[in-house]
Amino acid sequence: MTSQTKAELDAFRDEVAAFLDTAPTDAIREAGRKTTSAFPPFEQAVAWQVILNEKGWAAPDWPEEYGGTGWSGAQRTIFEEEYRKRDLPPLLPNSLKMVGPLLIDLGTEEQKAKYLPRILSGEDYWTQGYSEPNSGSDLASLKCSAVADGEDYIINGSKIWTTFAHKSNRMFMLVRTSAEGKKQQGITFLLLDRTDFPGMDIRPIRGLDGNAEFCEVFFDNVRVPQSGRVGAENEGWSVAKHLLKHERNGSSNSPVLVRYLQRITESAREEMSPFGGRLSDDPVFQRDLGALHADVTTLAHFERLIMGGHEMANDPALPSVAKTMTTELTQRVSLMMTRIAGLEGLSLQLDALTVGSGVDPMGSELDLIAMPFYLNSRATTIYAGTNEIQRDLIARSLQVA
Amino acid sequence: MDISQTDEQKMLQDSVTRLLERSYDFEARQKLLASGQPWSPDTWQSLAEMGILGLPISEESGGFGGSMADIVSIAEPFGAHLLIEPFVSSILLGGQCLAHGEGPAAEAQLARILTGEQTAAFAHEEGRGTADPALVSLAASESDGGFTLNGEKRMVLGGAQADVLVVSARARGAAPAKDGLSVFMVDPDQKGVRIKPFVTIDGRHAAHITFDGVRIPAARRIVAEGYDVLEQVISKAIIALCAEAVGAMGALLRLTGEYASTRKQFGTPIAAFQTISHRLADMKIAYVKARSNLLYTTALKDAGHASPLDVSVLKGQIGTLGRQIGEAAIQTHGGVGMTDEISIGHFHKRILAINALFGDSEYHFRAVGQSLASS
Repeated sequence: MTSQTKAELDAFRDEVAAFLDTAPTDAIREAGRKTTSAFPPFEQAVAWQVILNEKGWAAPDWPEEYGGTGWSGAQRTIFEEEYRKRDLPPLLPNSLKMVGPLLIDLGTEEQKAKYLPRILSGEDYWTQGYSEPNSGSDLASLKCSAVADGEDYIINGSKIWTTFAHKSNRMFMLVRTSAEGKKQQGITFLLLDRTDFPGMDIRPIRGLDGNAEFCEVFFDNVRVPQSGRVGAENEGWSVAKHLLKHERNGSSNSPVLVRYLQRITESAREEMSPFGGRLSDDPVFQRDLGALHADVTTLAHFERLIMGGHEMANDPALPSVAKTMTTELTQRVSLMMTRIAGLEGLSLQLDALTVGSGVDPMGSELDLIAMPFYLNSRATTIYAGTNEIQRDLIARSLQVA
Repeated sequence: MDISQTDEQKMLQDSVTRLLERSYDFEARQKLLASGQPWSPDTWQSLAEMGILGLPISEESGGFGGSMADIVSIAEPFGAHLLIEPFVSSILLGGQCLAHGEGPAAEAQLARILTGEQTAAFAHEEGRGTADPALVSLAASESDGGFTLNGEKRMVLGGAQADVLVVSARARGAAPAKDGLSVFMVDPDQKGVRIKPFVTIDGRHAAHITFDGVRIPAARRIVAEGYDVLEQVISKAIIALCAEAVGAMGALLRLTGEYASTRKQFGTPIAAFQTISHRLADMKIAYVKARSNLLYTTALKDAGHASPLDVSVLKGQIGTLGRQIGEAAIQTHGGVGMTDEISIGHFHKRILAINALFGDSEYHFRAVGQSLASS
């Protein structure tokens, strides 16, 4: 990792700021302000990725040879800070942070050449087919089957919680190719080039926040080529575990929480306390805001230590610690947001929340996003391995033989 | 900004750890407490010989000019071994004030403190931790070329043993004015000084001290306008205390993980039960949070970027996270966790004491929120 002088970093910050001030369209900015999930509004996030990719900044974390930026930790932090300051939407994570890094590590040269450029450019969106109605935390019990037939597999079964499957054009999935041995042993990792193969049916599911973010996908004798396999047949579990590392490590999550907390603080100066006066003058609110700020600051400190290569990063329990810490803190921030919105958070405003609808929110923009964000963020402690599973893993690392 | 330990800091930490492993295991520490001695003169002398006592003090004041990261490197093992020696009270508080003080008397006194032959105590606390020096109201009225002290200081650590009391007092105005605070050197044997000694829950000797018309010559006022000095001295001491707490938290996490892995009930190690294992996981998460906060704030301090807000974030977090870890450790140990015979409860009590000193977590969280809400 290269280290830059303060003048170089200042110049870099200016460059980033100038680009982020001018490049995003109004619709992209609106999508950023109305993001209430780890998954931003789909169309605007894709449009934004196209613009960032033209600049070469769509995947800062990727190795440079595959289109990464080669930025130092300090540069990445600067980029994140300037990005959050402007309330820009995050990019969709599935392709850039999951299947992309996986293919870089484990894909064949052919797979890399075929898929990576289209992931970067935003042409392809990959949905994740892992969970099944009867296989959640116990993922290895999955039953969706793939039976070899000539050059193909025939898939039967279903996948659930496949985020944005109805908007995706590709899918990565786990299928059962063998019932022999331990349940982890008969699993294969597959890439699907289409999400509209004959026999595939996608049903969007409306979530607590009123939006259809995730889906159920049904497979009825779906024929797909075996060339889409990553790794060997029946060895998909280790491929999935490898991918999970990318999913759990993510990048830094604190800047977005820092920004939410600023929006909360600004609103509290306008809102009334139920005891009269301004909410920001209420000592109990101040204490709670301080405690939340302390926890968000702690996460930021933690992320900087890890990104800076502190020895703490070698702790095998770290990904689970980070996932638990981040998601539970996200939920607390979302709860604080609903506390600020109060009664105003109760009105259903799906139209005002839709980018480009031209419908103004009835109250403030914070009132508009508070409840959908709170409701949506309940998912954070469930997805990517529930926090109960994470705690099991953390505890295992503390036990002595 | 340096976030990783330097080789020198690692060596320093290792040598302190080795000394404490050799001469300061839990049994030895309990024996020391039972003896009624306020601390071990041998250990104190060893620390002096290792240069630890002079570490935090600037070179121009006769110390070694160590960084905050240096101090944190030794304070973590101090916490992990429940050291009761007066490092914070005599060096980081009393000694640091003397180092900031003016005049030959302060200089000569500090020299005797750094060799370990004498100790200083910091008489500052007037209620609820007195984290904000502006709240000090012990009166120092000026007359006849000197000052007269009237008022009370509480929870003066090492106060009954100290050879010199370093007293914060108000020479002008009234609390909560930042102006008008001074720092004095007071001889504990002087007329009008009444010392009521006691022992604290974490095994330290302390005292409440009343000052009843105590006459102080002008030359023993070592800092005239003292707010900034007090604030700086206290913020460094807070970071060191937090490092001790993190050391204690690390020990609790390790010991509780070991205990849950070996203690069997219903024919199986209790760590196999999910309620227990998840509590262990929560302890680990709390520890990672606490240590990240400590190390990053320390680096900020050394880079000259630690604001009072940063120090409050740290102090608030350590108090809350430390209590969580301590309570979880006691619960996991069950009945044996309730006894004074094992170390678990002693770590917890040390953490409770650190939380209460210089403003507890509720105070610091509100201070943070207040500053954010109004800015």
